[in-house]
Amino acid sequence: MNLNLLSWIIFLPIIGIIVIAVLPKPGQKTVKWIALSFALASFLISIAMFWMFDRSGSAIGHMQFEEKIAWIPAINAYYHLGVDGLSIPLVILMTFLGVVSVLVSWKIQLRPKEYFIWILLLESSILGVFCSLDLILFFLFWELELIPMYFLISIWGSGRKEYAANKYLIYTLVGSSFMLAGILSTYFITHTFDLTALAGISITSSFIPLTVLFFLLIVGFAIKLPVFPLHTWLPDAHTNAPTAASVILAGALLKMGGYGMIRLCVSMLPQIAVQYAPVMCTLAVIGVVYGAAVTMRQTDLKRLIAYSSVSHMGYVLLGIFALNQVSLAGASLQMFSHGVITGLLFAMVGLVYDKTHTRDLNNLSGLARQMPIIVVVFSIAGLASLGLPGTVGFIAEFITFAGSFASITIAGMKIFTLIAVTGVVVTAGYMLWMLQRVFYGYPLDKYNGVKDADAVEMISTFSFVAVIMAVGIYPAVLTNVINMGVAPIARLIGM
Amino acid sequence: MLIDEMKYITPEISLLCFALLIVVVDLFVTRKGVLPILSVIGALVAAFFTVGLWGNGGISAFNNMIAIDQFGLFFKLLILASLVLVVMASNKYVLKFEKFQGEYYAVLMLSAIGLMLLVSAVNLITIYVSLELSSISLYALVSFLKDKASSEAGLKYLILGAVASAILLYGMALTFGLTGSTGLTAIADYFRTSSTASPLLLTGLVLIIAGFGFKIASVPFQLWVPDVYEGAPTPITAYLSVASKAAGFAVITRILMTAFGQPDWLHAEWAIIIAVLAALTMTVGNVTALVQTNIKRLFGYSSIAQAGYLMVGLAAMGMATQGNADIRSGIIFFLFSYTLTNLGAFIAIIAISNKIDSDQIADYTGMGKRSPLLAGALTLFLVSLTGLPPTAGLIAKIYIFNGAVDQGLLWLVVIAVINSVISAFYYFRVVKVMWMGEPASQDKVTSSWPEWTALAVCCIMVVIIGVAPGAFVGLTQAAVKMFGI
Amino acid sequence: MMFSVGLDHYLILSAILFCIGLVGVITQRNVIKLIMCLEIMLNAVNITLIAFSQYITPTLLTGQIFAIFVMVVAAAEVAVGIAIVFSIYRSRESVDMENFNILKW
Repeated sequence: MNLNLLSWIIFLPIIGIIVIAVLPKPGQKTVKWIALSFALASFLISIAMFWMFDRSGSAIGHMQFEEKIAWIPAINAYYHLGVDGLSIPLVILMTFLGVVSVLVSWKIQLRPKEYFIWILLLESSILGVFCSLDLILFFLFWELELIPMYFLISIWGSGRKEYAANKYLIYTLVGSSFMLAGILSTYFITHTFDLTALAGISITSSFIPLTVLFFLLIVGFAIKLPVFPLHTWLPDAHTNAPTAASVILAGALLKMGGYGMIRLCVSMLPQIAVQYAPVMCTLAVIGVVYGAAVTMRQTDLKRLIAYSSVSHMGYVLLGIFALNQVSLAGASLQMFSHGVITGLLFAMVGLVYDKTHTRDLNNLSGLARQMPIIVVVFSIAGLASLGLPGTVGFIAEFITFAGSFASITIAGMKIFTLIAVTGVVVTAGYMLWMLQRVFYGYPLDKYNGVKDADAVEMISTFSFVAVIMAVGIYPAVLTNVINMGVAPIARLIGM
Repeated sequence: MLIDEMKYITPEISLLCFALLIVVVDLFVTRKGVLPILSVIGALVAAFFTVGLWGNGGISAFNNMIAIDQFGLFFKLLILASLVLVVMASNKYVLKFEKFQGEYYAVLMLSAIGLMLLVSAVNLITIYVSLELSSISLYALVSFLKDKASSEAGLKYLILGAVASAILLYGMALTFGLTGSTGLTAIADYFRTSSTASPLLLTGLVLIIAGFGFKIASVPFQLWVPDVYEGAPTPITAYLSVASKAAGFAVITRILMTAFGQPDWLHAEWAIIIAVLAALTMTVGNVTALVQTNIKRLFGYSSIAQAGYLMVGLAAMGMATQGNADIRSGIIFFLFSYTLTNLGAFIAIIAISNKIDSDQIADYTGMGKRSPLLAGALTLFLVSLTGLPPTAGLIAKIYIFNGAVDQGLLWLVVIAVINSVISAFYYFRVVKVMWMGEPASQDKVTSSWPEWTALAVCCIMVVIIGVAPGAFVGLTQAAVKMFGI
Repeated sequence: MMFSVGLDHYLILSAILFCIGLVGVITQRNVIKLIMCLEIMLNAVNITLIAFSQYITPTLLTGQIFAIFVMVVAAAEVAVGIAIVFSIYRSRESVDMENFNILKW
């Protein structure tokens, strides 16, 4: 029985776009309800799919819910979708964020029709990246994501929005250009675009050194993740993007980088990955420490969380290039965990900004009295971010560090891990300091009339909290499937 | 018999009849609205005859002067399609020509006839004559506005065009002299029996490439492009940028493949020249486009850059032994999607400039508010030109670059993809101007129904090709069948 | 030894003529002279064609026919060219390329 679930998940938002587009002059209310219902439908199907996911041992190393139709026969490209343990958490993460980002934008007034079209297109394209098993299809979705993000930042953003949008566009395009060259070279060497086939074969080539191929492919992912020193687009994009775009950007878009590294670079070229793991781990550790240090210096709430992302995505990179099964699983879980936690943090910053019209730490103080609910949720997010046990943040970081500390794939992994762990300490520092400044300082008179979260805002933020806590308390719900996904990859590395 | 072979040029003959009919009708009819309808009918009749010839794979007529093959027929259809779209887009623009509307349509159709003969010509003499038929018509069309800028553009186009055709002719003369024939297949026969060519013959080849380099706007023969694009009437700019360029690429593909495609030492010779020219062409086009303030000039440089990407395909074709058909189909596919995209963009520009009477990018500020549909369509085409999904541009680039990597031209593909990034700067500058910033006036910008129809066709095609290119790839694969190979 | 005129001499003559024409096109500023230089280039080609026709394919007339085509086309080209020059001359009272500078070269 084939229900084409993946196609439905990816294309429901697109159907939503068409519905919104063909409606003649729909009201803001109609548009957001349509957007919500299609995002919700996509989310529910992804949950159903997660439920139906085959967790038996025989399913390890196989794609599930596969769909394969010839697409461009001339270059052997297929419309080929499928998920395994590695991608399914990310699919659910994205559909979840899709729903929440519509809720977060509930009060949008400026050009709502176009806004929700772009949000839904963004959701579709990111889902497409996680589900594609054909390199050309993967690349198509990868590039597609650029356009909605560009418009979301440049039209609905704030501050230096055009600069930020352009910077985002150019950074991503540079990366994806090299990726295209890499993908075409891969095709030349192997004569297939099929990711499942590519993961199994050992690639040799006299045409192009495999190291070059590896770096052609990884640049795009490194920019997206982002890896120090290619991260400078991220703070600008985050700071100037509208809240929902920030939520999706931090929540799901950055994960495309990590996912791509595991799926393409590590799976296809494991030997090269081992060879260059020390370099990547060094960059990861620099990212963690540098990101954390810079975060300490930020006074803009959004910028602060953006830099904390740089630091936390460093864990992901470390986990990936520690190259053992536990660390890879940790990295995958950390992607999910960072997705929900940072998504929530950005949503909260958005709320605080909506109420107080400032994001400047120097102007915020003692808000706990005016907005008790926001304080509680924000604090949970902050604590999850610094890895408090009982939240998904703790589990993810713990597994990542445990895995990379134990890794024997490359020398000196223990030292890298120990340095990276200091990032957690600094995170605790800036998170608590930030919460204290914003909420627990001396109450300011100018914020006396400020309201707390309303019903819609509570729904969106509480659902984040529910996910953070649920996975934090019962991580096996995700780690089981993730292990199924990373086990074959770890086997390829031979560790 | 000669008279029997007339059926092979029925498309051109019918188009010629309609062109003459239009000139005559123009004398007697006061309602000029009938003229574009006649030209569209003429193009459709010609297309009908062209489709009728489809499947007649690889015959030559008139003593090896022209060939009837699917390659040529496909390009005839492409030229006719762009003729129809340009005629529809000129609907309002022709009011600027006052009493010369009939001549405008007639000369436009004459140039289309020239291009149609050009893509099926298999003899140096026919190639030259049909090339000049289209060029001379275009010289006249470029200066059709008769204002200072337009005449100046026409003169520059004429002088540089004439120099290029003199160079081309000299190349043809040398080739003729050393191979003893002007037929492309006969030249190929000469090469098949020789193991090396005299330097003079290679000079001839280089001169031929140079002469067509002018037509396809390759470096260093691209100088005319921005000036002519800016000065010419906008529909003619659109026509130049697609039909004329597509025909140029078609004929250079045909000459290189048929006459100079064998043996291996020969095609490797020109492949490397073209590879270097391709790298230069796209870089020059993209980098110069960055500083443009006039949208027609911007598209001029953009079309130079796009020619560079196409030349990547030509170079790959030369690298391949036995003339890899997939690469040729990639070139055809790129031309197909580029034609639709660029025409669409120009139709939007024509519609906008009809209203605001300016080609300055700065005057496009806030166009998203004044006409969301036109601005949206133009955005789609710019996205396609940048090579982003979900548009034809991306698939075309992947297709053509894939062929190039396949032939070991990775260095060239890397240069090309870096160039794509550079191109995003100026394409998205236009997008940014249209959607951000406040419009100078609140007047809505609207358009007439022929323009809307033409625009809708281009939009839909660009998206369909971008999402489900299978059928179109199949079509271009059928179109690689070429007489003589 | 008697001096005789052969194919080489024609080719060299036409090459020289072609170069003269080309240099003229590049350096001349007067449009009329410029068009004359174009004609010199085309005539150089005609000489090449006819010489080849005479020495390489004496039984066929391909080259000579080609040359006739070139002459006809060149005449058409010049007709359009002069028409454009007229139209410019009406508005500017000048045939000097230096003065045609609305469009950047």
